[in-house]
Amino acid sequence: MKKQSRFGGRLFIGLTFLFLYLPIFLLIVFSFNAGDSSAVWKGFSLEWYSALFHNRLIMESLYTTLLVSLLATAVATAAGTFAAIGLYSLSKRRRDALLVVNDIPMMNADIVTGVSLCLFFVAFFQGWGAFAQWLNEQGWLPFQLPVRLTLGFATMLLAHIAFNIPYVILNVAPKLRQMDKNLVDAAQDLGCTWMQAFWKVILPEIKPGIVSGALIAFTMSIDDFVISYFTAGSATSTLAMRIYSMTKKRITPEVNAVSTLLFLSVLALLVLNNVREIRQERRADRQEVREPSFFERLSMRLSQPSWRWVRRGGLAAAACAFVAVVALLTGATWSQPVVNVCSWGEYIDEDLIIQFEEETGTRVNYQTAESNEALYSLLKSGGADYDVIVPSDYMISQLIEEGMLEELDYSQIPNFELIDRRFRNLPYDPENKYTVPYTWGTLGIIYNANMVDEEPTTWGALYDDRYAGNVLLINNSRDALAAALFHLGYSVNTTDEAQIREAFELVADANRRGVFQGKVMDQVFQKMEGGNAAIATYYAGDYLSMADNQAEGVDLRFVIPEEGGNWFVDAMCVLKDAPHYDDAMEWINFIASTKANLANMDYIWYASPNKEALEQYPAYYEEEYGEELDPELYQIMAAPADVLERCEMYTVLPPETRALYNELWIQLGT
Amino acid sequence: MRNKRGWFAFPYVIWMALFVVIPIVIMAVYAFTATDSATNAAQATLDNFTGMGLYLSVFLRSFWLAILATLVCLLIGYPVSYWMAKEGPRFQRLAMALIMLPMWMNFLLRTYSWMSILENNGLLNQFFRAVGLLDLLGVDHIQMIGTSGAVVLGMVYNYLPFMILPIYSVIVKLDGSLIEAARDLGADSARVFRKVIFPLSLPGILSGVTMVFVPSVSTFAISNLLGGGKQTMLGDLIELQFLGGAYNPHLGAAISMVMMVVVVVCMVVMNHFGEGEEQAVIM
Repeated sequence: MKKQSRFGGRLFIGLTFLFLYLPIFLLIVFSFNAGDSSAVWKGFSLEWYSALFHNRLIMESLYTTLLVSLLATAVATAAGTFAAIGLYSLSKRRRDALLVVNDIPMMNADIVTGVSLCLFFVAFFQGWGAFAQWLNEQGWLPFQLPVRLTLGFATMLLAHIAFNIPYVILNVAPKLRQMDKNLVDAAQDLGCTWMQAFWKVILPEIKPGIVSGALIAFTMSIDDFVISYFTAGSATSTLAMRIYSMTKKRITPEVNAVSTLLFLSVLALLVLNNVREIRQERRADRQEVREPSFFERLSMRLSQPSWRWVRRGGLAAAACAFVAVVALLTGATWSQPVVNVCSWGEYIDEDLIIQFEEETGTRVNYQTAESNEALYSLLKSGGADYDVIVPSDYMISQLIEEGMLEELDYSQIPNFELIDRRFRNLPYDPENKYTVPYTWGTLGIIYNANMVDEEPTTWGALYDDRYAGNVLLINNSRDALAAALFHLGYSVNTTDEAQIREAFELVADANRRGVFQGKVMDQVFQKMEGGNAAIATYYAGDYLSMADNQAEGVDLRFVIPEEGGNWFVDAMCVLKDAPHYDDAMEWINFIASTKANLANMDYIWYASPNKEALEQYPAYYEEEYGEELDPELYQIMAAPADVLERCEMYTVLPPETRALYNELWIQLGT
Repeated sequence: MRNKRGWFAFPYVIWMALFVVIPIVIMAVYAFTATDSATNAAQATLDNFTGMGLYLSVFLRSFWLAILATLVCLLIGYPVSYWMAKEGPRFQRLAMALIMLPMWMNFLLRTYSWMSILENNGLLNQFFRAVGLLDLLGVDHIQMIGTSGAVVLGMVYNYLPFMILPIYSVIVKLDGSLIEAARDLGADSARVFRKVIFPLSLPGILSGVTMVFVPSVSTFAISNLLGGGKQTMLGDLIELQFLGGAYNPHLGAAISMVMMVVVVVCMVVMNHFGEGEEQAVIM
């Protein structure tokens, strides 16, 4: 009977492990997929591994992750051990009070820790800004203090240290408690200095606690996403942050590859460790007296006083090795000069970044934001350290209004002359002082012809019960309500509260009836391409890219409904006080060139505002692919004048209307 | 000598004041103020809290899903820990390693993997189609992604190790002679479990429940990826106010405060049952 119960237990444990490892196993399997899907197997290939080593964004984020985890672990382990020893020499009452505070970061939700630290850093930066400016004006210092600080690697590192220390203390403390207090006294009575007693008595006693504390700290750092997300700002990203931004668009199997490598290296370490321990155990079982191994003899030798200098040298060498690894990782992560660019996901041909870097020697730190509103939040929260951003028309007016943009120096951007007159002096920047257009396009309905009964020619299709569970609502308030406003025949720029509420009710009602499968932004790609949804609102350029990637049995089409649609311009702007202004000008000029516009058009399928590039594109396509560009596709990409006439551009809404949008939008999720 | 080493704690006290206490104070300040849209100046107000009734359903959903996930974790985690502790040392060590191992793979990756499994056209639906289950039911697919079930699954999957580790570490250290004594005194195994093993493993359970519940109630990445953005939870709401589409850090701070207070109250009440037992430590 006993045997049976053990079998049941093992089965249960086995099933739990199956549950834990099945997804990881699939992740690994699909890292060897020849196709780029994570659900459809197309054959074995190693291409994603070679692609991984050429993908600078992923590799950089990997270095950042390792760097922050290593540094945070090292600092937290030392500081935590030190603090634990201190805490254990306090009276019990004081110690317990301090341990309660120590527990706060562990008990608190990550998001609360992240948010509070983020607010703390931002508040500190504001105070610092005022202080530094005052000090600089006094001229007491021989150098100028930096006035503008932003979230970045340093703040993320501090945050990691802050949440790691409690874990170290928690692990070291029990060992200190178990230690016989008289040992230290005895050592000192026998003539040890306190330092000697620490190295010879305390440290060996608490070493297991320190090791396990360091291990947990490292694990927590590697696994963390939320706290980094709130404290790293824009300029640095860890692997987790990179993945999070990618899950919104298309995760390339390179991510599978990098996680497979990480997983396998940890697995190898664990196996080695286990084998070693099992061997030791077997020996102990057999009561075997064996020759001391090379390492044991070495360590015995080293512990003799006459070998002290070797011991110190070894310690120094280990410290040097650590510093070297850190320096190497740092070098891989930063090299000056840089220009920080923020754009949308998959919104550039990445070869252009490499070309620019080779031509100018300036490194491009390319980041992405999810939507105009998210970009605005990031800028407002002080977390952004960008030079160049690429917001859309209405957001540009808002940023200009709030004095957040810097005027451009057009003498450094000769390629601005190549921009079609149609796209200059638009309402969002009437005198064209702040912007150089990047792309333009239209917003319409994308549908899978195999999943709908008839062509959805009105915006009403988004709220149609026939497609219940298969409609994707666009996850930004402006575009989602625009569709409803069009459908009701109102202007998308209306400030009439009743009209906006009516439009919202249309969306909310459909939501209650379960028409929407979800609210998505960039996730729309994998959903539509894989035939996981029938109808979505999205941008024309992205439709073309989806159609190019659609799975078998999926037939994607694009339509601008009869009520009309939205047309937009995304333009490059420079933020006020941008730290790398001249590099930013160089970047903008480079991107405005015909060559770059052609490459971009070919890669992201959004129409170019560069007149030459727009005209030359069909010829370019033919040369590149050896076949003619389907004129219908070209018309979707670059909407002809009669279509644009039916479309309305967004203008910036007054603050009250924006607040109303936000309030309604949050209600939708509740 | 005693006092001398007491100074060791001093830098850490300053550190904690800087990076633990002050940030929370600043968050509280944010929660009780608002920016006037006209003058752009901060004003003291309670609006952030009074307006929170709108989000009651989000609070309820978050707590409900987190409680559900915690219960499932407990139902899986306790037996696993219990049976694991009965195995030989080699098995135990291997099992522990296997439980820790997934944590070195960032949780977003693991969640992403579930996305590709649960999609309407994902691996699981493909499998159902292949075995003919979908035809049998006469549906095109079984909706899994975007449901609250998927969110709970994601939480259980990601936080299960946090339940197993503390429970296991308590059970494995149980004094075997207590169990023997109970047996000798005539208790059957159910009674031994109920009267001896379970009460003694309570600190582990409490610690595990805390470690699963807190991240579950505040998650935003999991609900975003597996809940399809429709299962808005507290974490999403907070993220939305800081880095998402609706910039209002004051409201975000207020929601964080309320969540923190509710969680702390839950924990205090729960730890009351632990009767001052030392909290279990992972590993």
